[in-house]
Amino acid sequence: MIVRLLVVGAMALGSLTAVSGAVAADSPGHVTAHAARHHKRHHRRHHHGIPQHNGGDHDADNNGGPSDGDGNT
Amino acid sequence: MTATATPSRLVAAVALTAALAIAGCGGAARPHSAGPFAWLRPAAAPADWTVGRLPSGAASFAYPAGWRSIRTDPGTFSAALLGPHHRIRGYLNATPQSGAETLDNWSTFRAAHNREEGDRDVVRESAASGLRFPSGTGSCVTDRYATTTNAHYREIACIVRGARGTSVIVAAAPPSDWSRLAPQLRRSVASFG
Repeated sequence: MIVRLLVVGAMALGSLTAVSGAVAADSPGHVTAHAARHHKRHHRRHHHGIPQHNGGDHDADNNGGPSDGDGNT
Repeated sequence: MTATATPSRLVAAVALTAALAIAGCGGAARPHSAGPFAWLRPAAAPADWTVGRLPSGAASFAYPAGWRSIRTDPGTFSAALLGPHHRIRGYLNATPQSGAETLDNWSTFRAAHNREEGDRDVVRESAASGLRFPSGTGSCVTDRYATTTNAHYREIACIVRGARGTSVIVAAAPPSDWSRLAPQLRRSVASFG
């Protein structure tokens, strides 16, 4: 029973943490479609994309040259 | 004998005609064997061409003598034919699949992506899927656009799914150089895999 109570308590704490995390993420007040889109891209780039280094890599498509095959922006 | 042989011949002729018709339909069922990408036939590149590979080794393409590898994003490979003042006259790039691009959405993804990157006047000219490459199957588009510096390019862009992963190849040149460079660009694309 004590174990069961501990498990329930842990689950409740976990839920609260998740909710507060979501609220914290939304709290800055700039949660717009654009921001969400940006975040999605940013997130994707970190995990799978090719870093563009804000054009600092001087490759062709960052300098008005032909577009490369990178599926990210 | 003639009376019995004639119907047999007729039956044989009808059967042959039907077989040929079915065979013809089979050919027509492969719409990508012709049309705007009829030039895309897996073939070995000329002996004096250089092979450029993705750093991962997942894909490669051959590029002509006189072209050279150029600065490119990490994990990719690019080669170019440079003109005066290092202006890009011909451009080839291989990139691993890195975003939401797929073989299924490629016909719309590529042009939309170019617009998203700031290119203007993006016009898709043709698209096809189910195309054969040395390492697998791909989808291709041809389009043209103007870059942020108002340079105009025409391109062939293909996404290919092979045994070692899915990768993209782009072959581009200014419209004024297209007719001269297109045979080389196409041959490079056909070697991709």
